[in-house]
Amino acid sequence: MITLLSASAAIDRLTAAIGRYAAWGVLAACVVAAANAIARKLFGLGSNAWLETQWLLFSAVFLLAAPWTLAVNEHIRIDILTGRLSERRRAWLDLAGHVLFLMPVAAVVVWTSLPFALTSLAQNEGSSNFGGLPQWPLKLLIPIAFGLLLLQAMSQIIKTVAVLAGTVRASPGPASPVGSSPNGEPRS
Amino acid sequence: MTAFIAANMAPLMFAALVGCLLLGYPVAFSLGAVGLLFAALGIELGLFKPDFMQAVPERIYGVMSGETGTTLLAIPFFTFMGLILQRSGMAEDLLETVGQVFGGMRGGLAYAVIVVGALLAATTGVVAASVISMGLISLPIMLRYGYDRRLAAGTIAASGTLAQIIPPSLVLIILADQFAMPVNLMYRGALVPGLMLAGLYALFVFAVTLWRPDAAPGLPPEAIADREADGSRGLTSLAVLAGGSTALALLLMADSGVHGADRIVITLALTIAIAFPFAVLNAMVLRRAGVVLISKLAERVVFVMVPPLALIFLVLGTIFLGLATPTEGGAMGALGALALAGIKRATDNDPARLNWTIVRDALERTAKLSSFVLFILIGARIFSLTFYGVDGHKWVEHLLTSLPGGLYGFLLVVNLAVFLLAFFLDFFELAFIVVPLLKPAAEVIFRTSAEALALAKSLGLETAVVGGKETVLDVTPLIIWFGVLLAVNMQTSFMHPPFGFALMFLRSVAPAEPYTDKVTGRTTAPVTTAEIYWGALPFLAIQLVMVAILIAAPGMVISATRTPVTQVGDTQPSGPGPNADTTKPPTAGGLSLPGTPPALDGAKPLPPGTPQGPMLDLSVPPRI
Repeated sequence: MITLLSASAAIDRLTAAIGRYAAWGVLAACVVAAANAIARKLFGLGSNAWLETQWLLFSAVFLLAAPWTLAVNEHIRIDILTGRLSERRRAWLDLAGHVLFLMPVAAVVVWTSLPFALTSLAQNEGSSNFGGLPQWPLKLLIPIAFGLLLLQAMSQIIKTVAVLAGTVRASPGPASPVGSSPNGEPRS
Repeated sequence: MTAFIAANMAPLMFAALVGCLLLGYPVAFSLGAVGLLFAALGIELGLFKPDFMQAVPERIYGVMSGETGTTLLAIPFFTFMGLILQRSGMAEDLLETVGQVFGGMRGGLAYAVIVVGALLAATTGVVAASVISMGLISLPIMLRYGYDRRLAAGTIAASGTLAQIIPPSLVLIILADQFAMPVNLMYRGALVPGLMLAGLYALFVFAVTLWRPDAAPGLPPEAIADREADGSRGLTSLAVLAGGSTALALLLMADSGVHGADRIVITLALTIAIAFPFAVLNAMVLRRAGVVLISKLAERVVFVMVPPLALIFLVLGTIFLGLATPTEGGAMGALGALALAGIKRATDNDPARLNWTIVRDALERTAKLSSFVLFILIGARIFSLTFYGVDGHKWVEHLLTSLPGGLYGFLLVVNLAVFLLAFFLDFFELAFIVVPLLKPAAEVIFRTSAEALALAKSLGLETAVVGGKETVLDVTPLIIWFGVLLAVNMQTSFMHPPFGFALMFLRSVAPAEPYTDKVTGRTTAPVTTAEIYWGALPFLAIQLVMVAILIAAPGMVISATRTPVTQVGDTQPSGPGPNADTTKPPTAGGLSLPGTPPALDGAKPLPPGTPQGPMLDLSVPPRI
């Protein structure tokens, strides 16, 4: 169990680092969007490559930050019924969710998106927009992100099992809405 | 049994979705799991081909490449902007100064909260920031001077929630995306109702002060800090400056031919541009020479109003004038907020206004928010792949179009359902799960129901006989109206006890223990959760009144969507440029199928002069 828990901690560190680095993509996308707007207005420049760069950056942000968001429990839940359950019961439900919901979804997406992305890479598929970027980096992000999500699911399962087995004290339960608001507000 | 399942896939799927969501597992993955489970079932029953699931990556890729329109990119930009503004202290400066202006009046602090709430709402779109700032700053002052606790709490929560309806709000972006409507029009349609809602809140406070003067007393004179040399408050000077600049701005705008929402935003920007030189002159030159041009209070008001009004112009002004798409407006707003925070840091010499920690923190929170929002969308699209595959959309459409009462029956049922669902769903879930189910039925009803036809005619929208049936030709204005209606209604999801987010935020900053007031030295009782809940109720009622007003007076929204300056949405006014913004026909997001023929709105000839719906450049093949 201890080995598993340290593996889980390593996964958490990895996904958190990836998420934190990816977050800077927001600023980059911001600069690209503003520069694109100004260049287009003032000099009549502007291209689909710039626009697709924003989408590539934004996709990288939300896809690569997803495992980290899961680890810090900020994906929205509807806990109107389960919020009142004991911590143990919620841990059981979480375990079921990880195994029955998250892992199958992540696995199916990895399984179907890998050939999807590799075909695009092999063909060096271009954009359907004039002057756009190659599409394979965007498509390759899908199996990478869902692969990481699968990894994170395993880490979550280890942590939840440890809680149920009493090896560690309960991790923070389902975040209260104050903890994970729709507006990105931190708990205060 | 098998036959029963095969025949009732859609209702079974819907029931399974509700059941799974209630298990409390993250919504994004529950949606995806239900979708895939029923896809597997469908393959097993022979309803789908065995390679059905190969469409899944295509759907995710659709979300990532902006297939549903480019507007979702605006989400991280506006979120980042709001978070930076929150940390820059703009809200605090505004509250303090506006509190000084209204403070002496009965109910003054409550009016200040409403005014600042509306101003913050027009700059950001982030509810939490406003509620938390006002809860931290205004609530203790209101308690100190004996405000009714329920009134104080309710005003703060409701004013903070205005960020959801006054553009540039996230909910309007997402609704526009889900209805495949230009955000631009959604913003225009929502501005006047949003401001009106703020007005109704103020009216309610006024009514309370008449009925129970002690519920919202004016501040005692010693609590108002700024004084002129002669001991006056300088209000006359402020009134002259404000009145003069506004009059001049209105005069300048008189022949501009700009109307509605655009006019409001531009007039505001002009007003502050006129007043600003006076304040600078007063601060830099005249005071040193001993001449007083305007009072200190007036000067301060001008200086605190510049940042929000500049941002409002930078974001909304450029979007309304067609200078920028909403996405670009968001990006420029975010950079503008960074610049303003930097200027604040320099002028106040206060590194707490902007530093690397703040930027990194804001970026990381934006990334997490983008992630959970977009994952709900991805989950919804995986769900809908199967749900549409089993004709679930037709089932829901049939349920909704067979409601009695035509248009008004539909609106009543839908609004009631959204109001009730808002008790336990927040607006992201409502927008991504519920709205796409409503969309097909809404289009049918707005096109052909007798009430919609009568309404369209009374508002001057074109109708014609298409395929033997009288039809509203361009339903865009009606859909925008419906969207604004839903947006106002969804505000209630922030105010519903016990799970409303605005109430939660307020709870997190309101005093929970008895504390000693640092000015009066009296021990002050904490604000109880029950007081916050009771305080929210009248404002919830006002939000519902606003829904009713909008249903009764659709012209308020619909006329705003027909401003003659620019009609098209997230597109460049310079015509179809090389930018993909223009070349991608917005197909319905959320639950729609990939590659829905984009010609739904555009196939019918539009009469000349009517504003176009979602722009369709038919010279370019749709992206599939």
